[in-house]
Amino acid sequence: MNKAGKAIVTVGLLAIFGAAAYFSLYKTGRQPASDTGNVLSGLAGKLTGAVPVEEISGLIALDVEPYFQDPRVQKALAANGFKLNVQRIGSRDMAARVIPGQTPDFFYSSGVVAANQIGDAAKKANIATTVYSPIYTPMVIASWVPIAQILAANGMATEASPGVWHADLAKLTQLMLDKKRWKDLKGAGAYEVNKSVLVSTTDVRKSNSAAMYLALTSYAFNGGEVVTDRDTAQKSAKAVAGLFKRQGYQENYVNGNFDDYVSIGIGKTPMAFIYENQIVSYAMAKKGLSPGMVLVYPQPTLFNKVVFVAASARAKKLGELLSTNTELQQLAVDFGFRIADSAYFVQAAKATNLAVEERLTQVIDPPSFDMMAEMIDVIAREMAQ
Amino acid sequence: MQARQQHNMTRWALVLLVTLGLVACNKPTEPAKTASTPVAAAVDTFTVLATSDLKDAQPLEKMVEDATGVKLRFKYGGTMESTEAVQTGQAKADAAWFANAKYLLSDPQGQARVKLQEKIMLSPVVVGVSESQAQVLGWDKPEVARKVTWNAIAKAAQSGQLKYALSNPATSNQGFMALMGVVASAAQKSEALTAADVDRAAIAGFIKGYKLVGDNSSYLSEKFIEQQNTRVNAFINYESWLLSLNQSGKLKEKLTLIYPFEGVATADYPLMLLDDAKREQYQKVVAYLKGDAAQTWLAKTTLRRPVNAEVAKAQASLFPQDSMLVELPFSTDRALADGLINAYLNEFRTPIASTFVLDVSGSMNQGGRRQQLVEALQYIAGDDASLTGRIARLTSREKVWMLPFSEQVYASTYFQLPGLSKSAATGKGLAIQADSEGKQNVLGQVRDYAENLRMNGGTALYDAVLQALVNMNEERQKNPNYQYSVVAFTDGEVNKGRDMAQFKAAYAALPEDVRAIPVFMVLFGEANEAALKDLVATTGGRVFDARKASLYSVFKDIRAYQ
Repeated sequence: MNKAGKAIVTVGLLAIFGAAAYFSLYKTGRQPASDTGNVLSGLAGKLTGAVPVEEISGLIALDVEPYFQDPRVQKALAANGFKLNVQRIGSRDMAARVIPGQTPDFFYSSGVVAANQIGDAAKKANIATTVYSPIYTPMVIASWVPIAQILAANGMATEASPGVWHADLAKLTQLMLDKKRWKDLKGAGAYEVNKSVLVSTTDVRKSNSAAMYLALTSYAFNGGEVVTDRDTAQKSAKAVAGLFKRQGYQENYVNGNFDDYVSIGIGKTPMAFIYENQIVSYAMAKKGLSPGMVLVYPQPTLFNKVVFVAASARAKKLGELLSTNTELQQLAVDFGFRIADSAYFVQAAKATNLAVEERLTQVIDPPSFDMMAEMIDVIAREMAQ
Repeated sequence: MQARQQHNMTRWALVLLVTLGLVACNKPTEPAKTASTPVAAAVDTFTVLATSDLKDAQPLEKMVEDATGVKLRFKYGGTMESTEAVQTGQAKADAAWFANAKYLLSDPQGQARVKLQEKIMLSPVVVGVSESQAQVLGWDKPEVARKVTWNAIAKAAQSGQLKYALSNPATSNQGFMALMGVVASAAQKSEALTAADVDRAAIAGFIKGYKLVGDNSSYLSEKFIEQQNTRVNAFINYESWLLSLNQSGKLKEKLTLIYPFEGVATADYPLMLLDDAKREQYQKVVAYLKGDAAQTWLAKTTLRRPVNAEVAKAQASLFPQDSMLVELPFSTDRALADGLINAYLNEFRTPIASTFVLDVSGSMNQGGRRQQLVEALQYIAGDDASLTGRIARLTSREKVWMLPFSEQVYASTYFQLPGLSKSAATGKGLAIQADSEGKQNVLGQVRDYAENLRMNGGTALYDAVLQALVNMNEERQKNPNYQYSVVAFTDGEVNKGRDMAQFKAAYAALPEDVRAIPVFMVLFGEANEAALKDLVATTGGRVFDARKASLYSVFKDIRAYQ
């Protein structure tokens, strides 16, 4: 497999980590409280009209649960003849649900690798599958103008367009590995503190987004190469373990570091590694961006893709629909996701006063599942000491 | 108000901290419960186990019910019990609400109990300094105040310029985080602190200024108001308490709030869902609590900072603005935390000198009362290495007089625990020392003493308390470097010796400085609650109710006040 191909395949591998663990800890307050999965069924049935309604069953990742719970999404699906019966499970548990005769029509998993596992399982069971990736979101560093300016003054960040910052991943990683403190940096006047320069993450032992951070920092440590063998994995993980351990206590739910970023602010969280859709959806919900909040895009960064695996003919139609139907695509943007129509996403994001990168060009793939598991093991051991 | 309900807001935090690392020795080990789901009292009620510092949030019950239809009901508990209850799956509540859940959530068992969590409001631990003293220190100038570190605070304490009130570092989050702030500041780093980084001289200096000890913010506030600018001139606590005190009009002068530079520890009040079946109600409650109405109410009424950014903007004028609050990372190094608590108790803190006034009247023979007393004494002289046990335990250097009474006051028996062999307050690092043979011997003597207590006769409580106070005051003249108190225990009405009026008259005739010696009165059996409250109103101190809780758990609470 060539490098680009592998990039696509493995992007989002990490989404499976911790998805199950966070399964129950997620979706706090991000959705109307009255919503339940059951709302989905029945709604379409009430509609009358020319379109015959098909009930279709699926297993979905928590990333897309709020989307499917949105009445506008349900209505748009019904108008196209779909009545969904979905259950949310961890992406990592999906492949095990490929059972001849009992396989749901589709899986909507977080990450390409989880999707690949489903595909492999399906192949073994002689079930044909088709894969779609209707939506995705890049990994970003949520930060603050004074912080971005200090990074810029030290030659490791630039303001690529107004309010959109790029950080040199290699330089930033090296700075952190060197245990530099903010006050050691040039032009640190606005943040002249003794704290080490660190990007805050959730707990890497449980969290997908933190594992994505591990993928990036191990890439940087490894001289700009994705980790592909065990020895390198061990060595890289040991080297970057401090970037996790030195953070001290980490929140162990998916929104933990993002919550600290928005509610406690720069004093606690100068930089937070998050999914872009976390802050975009937050901004769209008008929960109040504080002055000075900016996004810093690591160069390179990673994508977290949400992958639709169709295991039946009618699910293929649904996958097609989710990928191409303008209304359904645009509704996903309300949850902060990027879609094929990037102009629409950019426009929607602009309305929130949060500047986002319009075109991401420097994107890498994370290491394979095995390599990631190896590295996470090493870090878990280091953190336990 | 009952003593049991007055626990410090975050003492549970430390409970967990230590129980994580150590096994409780004296208590029977509970079998690990799997997936025990708390059962709510009624289906439509949403019960929240909240720590007692959240009593000021009780009006939320009605507000939530009116807005969402969810019958929110708080039940309040001490932080220790509450945390243990959540961790062991015995909370009997649908959700829990604590000032800080980092300890609970850094433990896998605690984590597994919490299905969802959402931060509701914020309050940092800060230092309030009497305005006049802030001027003396130059901390009235914002540009100076902004850069005051925990190290500067420790130095001011060491030089006698800062005499502060603080809840017990061994049992409360505020107290512990203050120590951690000093450790980080003296070590010149805030991440990856280990026991080896601890500058013992800095801690010892900081503790020199620790003049008002207690285990709960209501108690400390009351005492602080009484003693401001006589015995204390600063109060280390949550910002919300200090802002409230400033608004109360009860202070002799207002407090200047110092937000330690790079050393702020913020309580974030997570509301934690325990019963997954109540997810829907939980989400309604959270949505309401994070909404504009509740956030505005919490900000205005309780002076805790909103997490809702829009409300935070609108209510910004309630809170001091000019400093950037740089947060102290929360260390997960258990050797550091355990070592710090241990060293605080056995080495750094002003050692305890106290008289235990023990009721050995005939009524103590009923209903297992004698046995409870014996067990309670044996507990504090025992070898329970659990968190609660360690706090309750007699510490190195401690002096104890046992003063039994019934019809009359009997002779007292004196015990002194030896100090640590290594000299304190020098060098770096912490290592928990095993008990010396000398310490073990004295602990054994205390246990034997308790076992040999025999009960009969009437109750001459006031005579005994008076004598204990006289003795303590005399000892205090001889050695002022101890923290003196009287712990008095009775199970019945006073029927011998002085009556209350005579006691008060005799107390008034004692030298003025006896007033610095609090009396911690334990209410047991048929003791007269009103009379005991009257007594502590005269002497200072407080009443602890042991009629419903076990005596040793009450002794444990008292230890945090000594």
